[in-house]
Amino acid sequence: MRGLYVHVPFCARKCSYCDFYSLPARLDLLEAYVQAVVHESHRYGGLSFQTLYLGGGTPSLLGPGHLRELVGGIGKSVDLSELIESTIEVNPESATGALLEAAREAGINRVSIGVQSLSDYELQGVGRIHTAAQAVEAIILASRLGFKSVSADLIIGLPGQTWSALHRTLGTLVGAGIEHVSLYCLSLEKGTPLEKSPPLDLPSDDTQAQLFEQARSFLLGHGFIHYEISNFALKGYECLHNLNYWRGGEYVGLGPAAASHLYGRRFRNRADLDAYIDRPGYLTEDVEELDVRDKASEEAMLRLRLLVEGLDAGELAAKFGRDNIEPLADRLERMAHDGLLVFDGLRYRLAPSRVLTSNPIFAEVL
Amino acid sequence: MDNIRNFCIIAHIDHGKSTLADRILELTGVLHTTANAQVLDSMALERERGITIKAKSVRMPYQSRSGQSYILNLIDTPGHVDFNYEVSRSLKACEGALLLVDAAQGVEAQTIANAYLAIDAGLEIIPVINKIDLPNAMIDECRLQLEDMLGLPAKDALLISAKDGTGVPNLLEAIVSRLPSPRGGVDEPLRCLIFDSYYDSYRGVIAHIRLFSGSLRRGDRIMIKSTSKVCEVDEVGYFLPQITPSDKLMAGEVGYVAATIRKAGDIHVGDCIISPDRPETAAIPGFRRSQPMVFCGIYPINSSDYSKLAAALEKFQLNDSSIVYEKESSAALGHGYRLGFLGMLHMEITLERLKREYGQELISTMPSVIYKVVTTRGETLMIDNPSRFPTAAYIDHIEEPIIRARIIVPNAFVGPCMELSESRRGTLVSMEHLDTRRALLTYDFPLAETVTGYYDKLKSVSRGYASMDYDLAGYRSSDLVKVDVLVKENQVDALSFITVRDSAIPKGRALIHKLRKLIPRHLFEIPLQAAIGGKVIARENIVPLRKDVLSKCYGGDITRKRKLLEKQKEGKKRMKMVGSVEVPQEAFMLLLKMEE
Repeated sequence: MRGLYVHVPFCARKCSYCDFYSLPARLDLLEAYVQAVVHESHRYGGLSFQTLYLGGGTPSLLGPGHLRELVGGIGKSVDLSELIESTIEVNPESATGALLEAAREAGINRVSIGVQSLSDYELQGVGRIHTAAQAVEAIILASRLGFKSVSADLIIGLPGQTWSALHRTLGTLVGAGIEHVSLYCLSLEKGTPLEKSPPLDLPSDDTQAQLFEQARSFLLGHGFIHYEISNFALKGYECLHNLNYWRGGEYVGLGPAAASHLYGRRFRNRADLDAYIDRPGYLTEDVEELDVRDKASEEAMLRLRLLVEGLDAGELAAKFGRDNIEPLADRLERMAHDGLLVFDGLRYRLAPSRVLTSNPIFAEVL
Repeated sequence: MDNIRNFCIIAHIDHGKSTLADRILELTGVLHTTANAQVLDSMALERERGITIKAKSVRMPYQSRSGQSYILNLIDTPGHVDFNYEVSRSLKACEGALLLVDAAQGVEAQTIANAYLAIDAGLEIIPVINKIDLPNAMIDECRLQLEDMLGLPAKDALLISAKDGTGVPNLLEAIVSRLPSPRGGVDEPLRCLIFDSYYDSYRGVIAHIRLFSGSLRRGDRIMIKSTSKVCEVDEVGYFLPQITPSDKLMAGEVGYVAATIRKAGDIHVGDCIISPDRPETAAIPGFRRSQPMVFCGIYPINSSDYSKLAAALEKFQLNDSSIVYEKESSAALGHGYRLGFLGMLHMEITLERLKREYGQELISTMPSVIYKVVTTRGETLMIDNPSRFPTAAYIDHIEEPIIRARIIVPNAFVGPCMELSESRRGTLVSMEHLDTRRALLTYDFPLAETVTGYYDKLKSVSRGYASMDYDLAGYRSSDLVKVDVLVKENQVDALSFITVRDSAIPKGRALIHKLRKLIPRHLFEIPLQAAIGGKVIARENIVPLRKDVLSKCYGGDITRKRKLLEKQKEGKKRMKMVGSVEVPQEAFMLLLKMEE
């Protein structure tokens, strides 16, 4: 399994919590960007991919023309014939009928909508430029156009968020027939406007935890499976592209700031659009090739995020060598003994009560 | 011997001692440049703090204006209140002293303390007023103070600026004309004073010595007076200032001896070296083993580093035999050591150096003094560690060490200084007005009150103007209790502290409150309690942590995720496990910080 990720670093406006690489007001560079990504894809000519994911930023800002050009161009250099899942992230305000139709035509079968909330108060509070109504329209539109799966991103802990508002949001989404929900806890990332001047009604960590638990119960009650720390899906609708990340799989990232994992090595394109357009894919950073033991620990840490699938200790030993995972195996065993992990004789899983406090456990695994 | 002058410079801290030493070294040609200024302060840490910790000596040739050749031996003295005994030993090695006073500051507490030590040692004193180039120099006032406060003839004071060199040539002339030469016969039995020592990895222990009589050569057999230990001399020589071997040392000279002494603990500052053939030779009066006054526990963060710590301490003691240490174990902190220091500053410097020079991560516990605990059965126990206190039922009464502190402070700050001193259980012994500007306050204090930042506080309430010196003044009975701290029902011995009964509740409450803020939230609730005996006097809870999760996807940027987790893991390594609770190392110094 190999995934292809394309980072689309454009935004109409930067949200106050966002620390991803995205640039508002650089839409004049769209054409040059698309050509650069197609150019970069030649570096991976001959590789075949089973998933494609256009993330951002705001990929829906590409518009129908550039979207076609991008996917078409990439498809000429790398092998996309085996694609099982192909996702585009869209923002409600730019998820137009024309864009979504172009996406369908380009073979994209999954839409991930940046809904974040269906409360206009919460949306405005963090600088989102769409309304709740636009988000609902986008969901309905996407479902009507026959995408196999529609997903919504939601943020837990938006300023002023209450359970009754979040409950309404979830209810509407489920009612609209959504198949997949990602719940991300709001975090104050260094240097973001939200971090610099957090609003007074920002929910505390404790409140966030409570909201998350309530949302989780709601989704489980509606048939969703909590398959990864932040992700819920109806059976069969898990996001394969992201699953591949957690399974330690290979993937290639195209575009500025995109991360790759190929032949055991992790690296990332520099977060610099101009430099990228100039020499696509030449400026890589954070190149990292872990030794086999660290690699095994990393994969264990990632796989433990998969709450249902968990970590198959035998599989890990087969992949990395029994000797190499010995200290790790001891740690896992001890953590299971201490009740941090659950072991069923075959697989280790995160104890359900520990999902929101998993960092110390993962730190221990590493 | 008539051409030798052995002298030292005594001064209050920052009155220009090191700068003057540099000028003297330059004028005598020993030092050619000012680039590596302050030769005597070789340890970087000393320079940082602007104080000389351990005494050293330099031998300098000098030709006087009359054409006569002299040998000048400058013996450096440690410049802090904790090192009174070391100062007195250095003074013993001299015939004369330069008493240096900052013209802008005037006579300070240490000026007085050191001047008294020099007078007691029978030294000829040359008063020197330094920094006369400063616009705010008060030369006449300084003269008056020297006369009034120390009884030194003001007309004899030399005026210099060590910074620009003004008056220093005249000072050198005064050293040879006004200070006496050493006495004592080369043919008499060997008798010399050890006034400092350090450890050299090639030669073993190097003792700085002053010969009062006799001579010393390589191959001689010598005896350490206090222990009767006999050893053979490997090398003798001088510091020029670099260590330089010579054929022999003669009566009146200052230099070093390296003998077959491998352990710093085998010799002590103030001890005497004599000939084993003449064991009856008299010791140098005033010798005593240095006595540690302040104690604290040190523990490696990782128990596995214990042996590394042991090795570091052993090496450390080779250079500073005034440090004492013994094994200690704490239920909370595991195996460590209890260290004794001459005073608070000595402790701070030593801990810093241990951490720096030996790369050891350490937890140090709240400093303590030695309490004299008299039990109901009439025994007297000397206890330097609160966790070793007997239970209250067995205690008849407790006595604590008292110091007599002399504080010189401008009149404007007398109020705040008295307020501070009284809040630290000080009792005013006397108050004198030194001149129109300043007062001398004499206070008796429990030593325990001064180990928790009293000196820094004194500096701050007087905007840096107050100066202090102290002597030990015996023991006094006090109404003291031991307060224990419990973290999640486990008593943390390293957090126990001794306090006067009246402050036990407020201190216990304050400590618990600070602990609550310092200890990170865990996945379970952590009750924190302070208790006297079985009686809880303060309680707070740390509520469980509910969220510590990386939920964002970061577009597959796993490296970033992993690095965040690794950082978290590193942070955890710096914590000490107390039962199931991770306690940051700062917790063990909290009480100290609270007092400051």
